[in-house]
Amino acid sequence: MAVEFKLPDLGEGIHEAEILAVKVKEGDTVKEDQPIFEVETDKAVVEIPCPVAGTVEKINVKVGQTAKVGMVMMSFITDGAKAEEKPAAKNDVAREEKKEPVAAAAKSANSESAKVSGGSDHATNGRVNITGPVPAAPAVRRLARELGVDLTQIHGSGPAGRVLNEDVRSFAAGKLEGRLTTAERPAQGQSAAGKGDDKSSKSDKVAAPSLKDKYGSGDGEKSGGAPLEFAGGNLPPAELPDFTKYGAVERVPLKSIRRKIAQNMTIAWSRIPHVTHFDEANVTSFEPLRLKHDDKVREQGGRLTLTVLTLKAVCSGLKKYPQFNASLDERSGEIVFKHFYNIGIAVATERGLIVPVIKDVDKKSIIQLAQELKDIAEKTRSGKIELDRLQGGTFTITNIGAIGGTSMSPMINYPECAILGMARAADKPIVVAGKIEIGTIMPLALSFDHRIADGAEAAYFVRHIIERLEDPFTLLLEA
Amino acid sequence: MPRKSIELPKIEYLSILNENGELDKELEPKIDPKGLIEMYRYMLLARRTDERMLLMQRQGRCGTFPQSSGHECISMASIFNINKDDWHVPAYRELAGLLWRGWPLESILLYWNGFEEGAAPPEGVNDLPVCVPIASQLLHAAGIGMAINMEKTEKVVMTYFGDGASSEGDCHEALNFASVFKAPVVFMCLNNQYAISVPLSRQMACETIAQRAVAYGMPGIRVDGNDVLAVYQAAKEAVERARRGEGPSLIECLTYRVTPHTTSDDPKRYRSDEETKEWVLKDALPRFAKYLDQKGVLPEAKRLEMEEEIDKTIKAAVQKAEVMFQSDELLNPLHMFDYLFADMSPALQEQRDELAEHFKTKGKDWTNPQKKEKTPASPRA
Ligand SMILES: Cc1ncc(C[n+]2csc(CCOP(=O)(O)OP(=O)(O)O)c2C)c(N)n1
Repeated sequence: MAVEFKLPDLGEGIHEAEILAVKVKEGDTVKEDQPIFEVETDKAVVEIPCPVAGTVEKINVKVGQTAKVGMVMMSFITDGAKAEEKPAAKNDVAREEKKEPVAAAAKSANSESAKVSGGSDHATNGRVNITGPVPAAPAVRRLARELGVDLTQIHGSGPAGRVLNEDVRSFAAGKLEGRLTTAERPAQGQSAAGKGDDKSSKSDKVAAPSLKDKYGSGDGEKSGGAPLEFAGGNLPPAELPDFTKYGAVERVPLKSIRRKIAQNMTIAWSRIPHVTHFDEANVTSFEPLRLKHDDKVREQGGRLTLTVLTLKAVCSGLKKYPQFNASLDERSGEIVFKHFYNIGIAVATERGLIVPVIKDVDKKSIIQLAQELKDIAEKTRSGKIELDRLQGGTFTITNIGAIGGTSMSPMINYPECAILGMARAADKPIVVAGKIEIGTIMPLALSFDHRIADGAEAAYFVRHIIERLEDPFTLLLEA
Repeated sequence: MPRKSIELPKIEYLSILNENGELDKELEPKIDPKGLIEMYRYMLLARRTDERMLLMQRQGRCGTFPQSSGHECISMASIFNINKDDWHVPAYRELAGLLWRGWPLESILLYWNGFEEGAAPPEGVNDLPVCVPIASQLLHAAGIGMAINMEKTEKVVMTYFGDGASSEGDCHEALNFASVFKAPVVFMCLNNQYAISVPLSRQMACETIAQRAVAYGMPGIRVDGNDVLAVYQAAKEAVERARRGEGPSLIECLTYRVTPHTTSDDPKRYRSDEETKEWVLKDALPRFAKYLDQKGVLPEAKRLEMEEEIDKTIKAAVQKAEVMFQSDELLNPLHMFDYLFADMSPALQEQRDELAEHFKTKGKDWTNPQKKEKTPASPRA
């Protein structure tokens, strides 16, 4: 006979668990009490022993998935002789029945009190409008106070609408993130809203604040800016000591690329207040994907690399956090947001660092990006890169992974706002559910212009990129 | 006038059968072989029941419960010194003692599955049910002890609490009252060094819990809580003293909670595996088994037979309990109103009626007055 195994409440009031391991396969013969799952709840990591002896018929969950209490996780065919194992399952039913009256009683009590307090029925589509205090535990109230969150704004996810700690946190995080991200392009948003012919885009775009609203004139100025009186200083050339006093020297003119690099770096360093934000991406899942698809990409003349994926992830991030795709105009005192996504890739050549640019990254497929990346890297190294492919960048990526290093603090490619440094993705011990495992970790470092972006924004931006590197499928979801 | 010091009793530490299985022959208490085997059997039964319940909990067949594995020695070696009509006032890690007192295994399973019927003590012993509100049982124990004095009988009370409980006001009140009124109570402290995630070092700044006895004016001793002989000996002396009318004693049994606090706890979050492993080696059961084997009281072959018999006993009890879980008698939701007041208050009665009415509309009449029978008090497991 078939027996279903439902996820039990493994703690007190646990409502879900993450599956860390599935220890049997469909068709396996299992003994009673043999471990079948390892799961993690809010409270603990626990092993689930098999409730029956028999054969695994079907497994309904996968590693990494979060299962709700009561969900059928696995079903078994038991040896008919063991039919008396059924009580456990039946017991479940009995308990469910037991629960129902309580819920029903609570419901009737609720509408009762609503009637009493309001004099009329407040119930709207089955929910009672609660005008009294928001149900939340004292610790949750305190958290809300600390985070400056108004409890009445939150939709509680706990039993009977109780507001939980995680509700407060995610609300606060969402609020902050909402303030830091910026709307779609105002022009598009406005026209769609104006015409009112495209309902979906209208509702999407009107809700978010425009760049002007966000960065705009709190001081009453209508538009336009003013030159910055505090723009970076222009120091006279510095004098060096006479090194020949100490030994032989050779003087070589600073020319061509080296000269250009020196110039750019001086401008960048003296004009832009740099801040570097560090984070790490767990890219363990990338290698299997790469192995699987690399041949196809190679056939078309590219190579599937982390850099290619990072291009896509960064582009997605720039759309959400446009301040990193902007420049500060010191003369006019304006932030220039660019509505195109041209990403430069730092290429080390014998003559020095060159940054060719891949244009319109947002409009290109991964395969196209892979082809172009290979093309520009080769051309740049051999000195054959076309001049127009060295200009017009809005953001830069530099990857020192091939050489080594655990991280870096990259210098912004003036006049862009930010540069993302990728260090070597290496196998490292990582802690997964309290155990040490091997994961492929890529350190990331984002240097940005602190005049037009802040640390929290950088942290969100890099997290956004990391989420896409760790789970490239996310890119598809938003494509 | 020079400063003088006040002489206070010193606090003893007692260990008879140490963690390496070495025996202090001089101190070895005389317990007849039958008694030794009985103690071992109930400790083992409690251990295996606890382990089975953990598996059942993970399978959704048992509610949250505090594990008792590692605490059997304290419960068993102390309770063994009292009679049926003496009082047993447990906390919640005294499974061995409850089973020895005659609580059916099914009651234990019922209780931790949320059926209040499981809290009914068996006939013939003076036991209070498991007590989860920390330290509150100590006041009951002190009160029962005072009542025994009023009744002028020679009964004693054996009660249990944790190191965490020792910080509760109830604990202070109970120890002080018992001492002032010379109540015949033996206060057994299971110092397992953790109160959920709070380690002993955050629980108290003094060296032992036993030394508090000095402040209350009663004898106090610390014993190796994994040493059956030491716990037995200390408890025996305390019981005799109580019976002689000399008042309460405090026995601090030092052990370690090798399991999680309850089935919903994850000790990895607050302590290291190494620390736990070290204490697993000091477990009372193998130590006691070795002692019994060397004494020729319980050779290994006999012990294995005992394991088998216990396995069968538990299986049978689980099967029986799981059938009981589905009986209308136990599932009746109206019972939740029934056991708080001798005469139900009108408000409660109204709610009970309302719920009964609700079920009737769903086609189930829970009011059908099948008289409620007592949980069958089966003989000792
Ligand atoms: C009065 C009261 N407060 C809090 C709790 C929650 N609680 C349950 S067990 C526990 C810790 C008890 O620790 P301890 O006395 O050392 O006993 P142990 O569980 O370690 O055996 C607490 C605080 C409770 N049950 N009762």
